[in-house]
Amino acid sequence: MICRIDPTLLAKLDPEGKLNLAACLQCGRCSSGCTMRTETDILPHQMNRMVMLGLTDRLLENNAIWTCASCHTCVSRCPMNVDTPALIDKLRAMAQAGTETGHYGRGGPPSPPADVKRIRVFNEVMLGNMRRFGRIYEFGMMGIYKLRSRDFFSDLMKFPRMLRKGKMKLRPPMAKGRGAAAKIFDRTRGRGTPRRDENAPHSQGRSSR
Amino acid sequence: MKYAFFPGCSMESTAEDFKMSTLAVAKALGIALEEIPDWTCCGSTPAHATDALLAASLPARNLAIAKSMGADVVTCCAACYSRLAAANLVIKEDVGLRADVADAIGSDYGGEVRVRHFLQVLSEDLRASEIKDALVRGLDGLRVACYYGCLLTRPKELSILEDPEDPQLMEGLLAAAGAAPIEWPFKTECCGASFSITRTETVKRLSGEILKMAKDSGAECIAVACPLCQTNLDLRQSDIENATGEKIGLPVFYFTQLLGRAMGISDRELGIDRLMTDPAKVLARLDR
Repeated sequence: MICRIDPTLLAKLDPEGKLNLAACLQCGRCSSGCTMRTETDILPHQMNRMVMLGLTDRLLENNAIWTCASCHTCVSRCPMNVDTPALIDKLRAMAQAGTETGHYGRGGPPSPPADVKRIRVFNEVMLGNMRRFGRIYEFGMMGIYKLRSRDFFSDLMKFPRMLRKGKMKLRPPMAKGRGAAAKIFDRTRGRGTPRRDENAPHSQGRSSR
Repeated sequence: MKYAFFPGCSMESTAEDFKMSTLAVAKALGIALEEIPDWTCCGSTPAHATDALLAASLPARNLAIAKSMGADVVTCCAACYSRLAAANLVIKEDVGLRADVADAIGSDYGGEVRVRHFLQVLSEDLRASEIKDALVRGLDGLRVACYYGCLLTRPKELSILEDPEDPQLMEGLLAAAGAAPIEWPFKTECCGASFSITRTETVKRLSGEILKMAKDSGAECIAVACPLCQTNLDLRQSDIENATGEKIGLPVFYFTQLLGRAMGISDRELGIDRLMTDPAKVLARLDR
């Protein structure tokens, strides 16, 4: 397997050294307490070292950055305060911005496994819902998620009971702030970290979304 | 005491009973929770997993409105608490980001509004005697497992707890109301959180371990302070029982529902009829 190395990866993800990655002792305390340790491809201490080594492709094509539950157990137990959850958020942003896929050539990176796809679809659907309604409209969000993920039947039997108990509302929330939320989405698009490089391959198609 | 109240999206749907019980308890204690007008979603998990500026701007809009109300922000949702408090931290720390957020929300916000969880208000802002005076009946030695999960606990900078490995905040409040909180080791384990829909098997495994540990430690019920923890432990409990073939039957209350009961507020007002796992047995014992 050819493994390309990007010596600038650490500088891209943590230009000011705020995440303390270089301080990692590889003691493994993070990984032994990781909520997802039995399900992830890459353990937290391994992920930190892979960033130091610049293994961009391996980090972005594995499920690890998406199976993180963001529980923050790793950083809270780390003797050196290495901020792995913040690192993972930056890797997720990088994967979604699609600016780091150049190594794969024209075809782009391999398509992610189904469970990772569902997580990314869910995130997109929830953000779309927030933008449209200002607040989460759960019933509508579940409908769109089911259509887009093709996961039609799971939890279907729960809806009637949830409706009866008032735990799910059929009507969307009518927040007056909905326009303000949409404006925030418009104004922040593409301006988050890492900043989007418009010349990179695969970035044009996404920026119009 | 006046606070700017940020309910958050869950409180309007899956966790409406948390909102009902919070408002009822606040009223009984003379705490004024004034809802932030036209509040919008805090951004939740997808925002911080997608874009750092978006994740700071969505909470900042609400905090900027709260600033004009001149009061601390109070929320009951652990995730909203975490996102609002995290936005404050990064905006204070990073001048460049503060400017970008100002562009996005159309006003300059410097991270100055204090964000609190309702648990903090009850334990820090009130004298113990104020709560004692509002109690009309005890919780009769209820063996409750207090469960905190992740977002009130970690990371350190945002934690509302003194000891993130063995918190005692909820225990103190419920013990004062006559309950007998049990000691158990899974108070701050993760329930699987936002994977409830996308990786249901993961949530069933993680929440199943928590429920089983609570039961094996002698709990009659669980108390939580987070809408997503409640949903995972309560709504998924029957799925977990079906998968393992083992009956658990632990009702999962919001801590405000138990406090409210001790204050003599009706079950209906506290939304207790909305729980999925039937609490009848526990309630009957308390009413005896």
